[in-house]
Amino acid sequence: MRYALGRVSYAVFILLLASVVTFLALRATPGNISNSLINPATTPPEVIAELRSDLGFDDSLPKQYWDHASGVLTGDLGFSLSNRTPVSDLIKDAGLYTLALAAAAFLIAFGLGVPFGMLSAINAGGWFDRVLRLACSVAQSIPNFVLALVAVLIFGVKLGWLPVSGANSWKSLVLPAVVLAAEPGALTTRVTRTAVLEELGADYTRTLRSRGLTKRRINWIHVLRNSLSPIISLGAVQIRTLLGYTLVVEVIFRWPGLGTKLVDAVLDRDYPVAEVLALLLAAVVVGSNTLSDLLYRWADPRVRLSKSDT
Amino acid sequence: MNAAVPDPDESTVLPSAQSSAPVAAATPRRRSHLADRLRLFALMAYGLVGAFGLIALRVPSLKRRMTDQDLSSTLLSPLSDGYLLGTDVLGRDFVWRLIGGLGVSLAVGLSAAALSIGLGLLLGILGGFYGRSAAATTSVLIDLTWAFPAILLAIVFAGWLGPGLRAVVLALALTGWAAFARIVRGEVLSLREREFIAAARVLGVPKRVVAVRHLIPNLIPLTLVMSVFFVATSIVAEAGLSFLGLGAQGSTPSLGIILSDGRDYLTVTAWPVVLAGGVLTGLVLLLNSLSDSLRDRFDPHRRHDA
Repeated sequence: MRYALGRVSYAVFILLLASVVTFLALRATPGNISNSLINPATTPPEVIAELRSDLGFDDSLPKQYWDHASGVLTGDLGFSLSNRTPVSDLIKDAGLYTLALAAAAFLIAFGLGVPFGMLSAINAGGWFDRVLRLACSVAQSIPNFVLALVAVLIFGVKLGWLPVSGANSWKSLVLPAVVLAAEPGALTTRVTRTAVLEELGADYTRTLRSRGLTKRRINWIHVLRNSLSPIISLGAVQIRTLLGYTLVVEVIFRWPGLGTKLVDAVLDRDYPVAEVLALLLAAVVVGSNTLSDLLYRWADPRVRLSKSDT
Repeated sequence: MNAAVPDPDESTVLPSAQSSAPVAAATPRRRSHLADRLRLFALMAYGLVGAFGLIALRVPSLKRRMTDQDLSSTLLSPLSDGYLLGTDVLGRDFVWRLIGGLGVSLAVGLSAAALSIGLGLLLGILGGFYGRSAAATTSVLIDLTWAFPAILLAIVFAGWLGPGLRAVVLALALTGWAAFARIVRGEVLSLREREFIAAARVLGVPKRVVAVRHLIPNLIPLTLVMSVFFVATSIVAEAGLSFLGLGAQGSTPSLGIILSDGRDYLTVTAWPVVLAGGVLTGLVLLLNSLSDSLRDRFDPHRRHDA
């Protein structure tokens, strides 16, 4: 319990730092939204100055940060500077799309990766194992934007089966989700295979055999459960990877999620949107890391009982 | 964005699960020497072409071959009109575009990897060997870095330095180091307890000297494996950022730009995507396989089984 509390407060501290860093980094980039709202060449300087002070750019940096941070903490996320919609609405809309995409990819990656890795380990050295391992190295090496283009070429342009951009029906989800899942799925397969192989050689497996348990029961219940800890900690890393990749995959497939919004917001210097989205991203990453640390201790008594809490 | 963020961490986050597990026991690890040699040969070919491309980018007469447009022969398929690999939408020769693209990949891959490795080594050793406050500071830095996807940093740097390859290298180095520092720190923490380090310390050898003479040599295998890995991920990231318009600009022949141009004409011809995608994927496949086999070679658990 104490460990959990310490871990959580550390996560909060990291997030606080992350919010300061994003805030400063964005403000240090040249240009600001007023340039994209009005044409600086034709607008009188007084109007520009008024707009700047309206938007709060004339306040000192600490004051600006305070306004932003106290807003976030009290649930007031502010308005988008470019189209005046509340940031919270924007996050709700785009967030659902990103969540759908990431969840679909996560399900594909783990739903296929774990059983495939398991089968591959049980049949180690066999043809299934070999084909799968080759497929995994290719899936891990092909950059996702290349895979996306290949998928668009085959299923969109040549076969015409699936839509290649936008989000009009569930069909639109298929290509981005599969592309997004390819690399994490391959990694999950490999990690599962390694972990299961290690467990298969363990003493308890032999003991269970000698007690007359069926192979299937041993493999899919005992061995799989004991192989879980690396898979769990992989899960947290995968969330970070997926989020990072989502930014690209969303842009390629023009999926109206948070990634597309974030890239646009940073490019437009739409500070309120960019800050909140970047913080949200960081929160998910830090949160999942913390959660995986805690889960890890739960899954592996050796870690839980050892003294070192770091 | 694997693209943009090739996440250096994933194959390395689980060093204990991945590298020291006795997988090899059940795996046919014996690779034929022929395959090893073929891979080395292919990598050398890539390297030579890349080095040539890098030189060619600096020689105006050669660079013109990469950037000169010929609007009378656009989007040609390979082996037509005397163009070995065809032309792009502006009639530029694909052979030269790809050579230049590999040059850019080589330069960005090597420099981003070198910076990530240098920073990672430095901070990893600081975090593992220089007392509590150094350890705490590096942990915070690592966790903070991990909280951001590299693409975000890349966009910010593109804003500061102007979009271009310099911003890409900086963004990659400043996000990539954390994964390596984490591993180095773990390694240093275990090396620190070994007798030869204790002996050196007892003899009064200063920490700095112990770090340079005793720690770093023991970190070389790990560093080598990770360097190859970083080169691969940085090359992918550069192409990815350029693909999104955040990396190489204008007529610079980057593989990412060739791909993003190719996307616009996908309904007309698939060649640009197939060629640049194939060259890039092949390179990454070779580098990944090299880093895997280096890891096997340096890992006593695996070597024993082979």
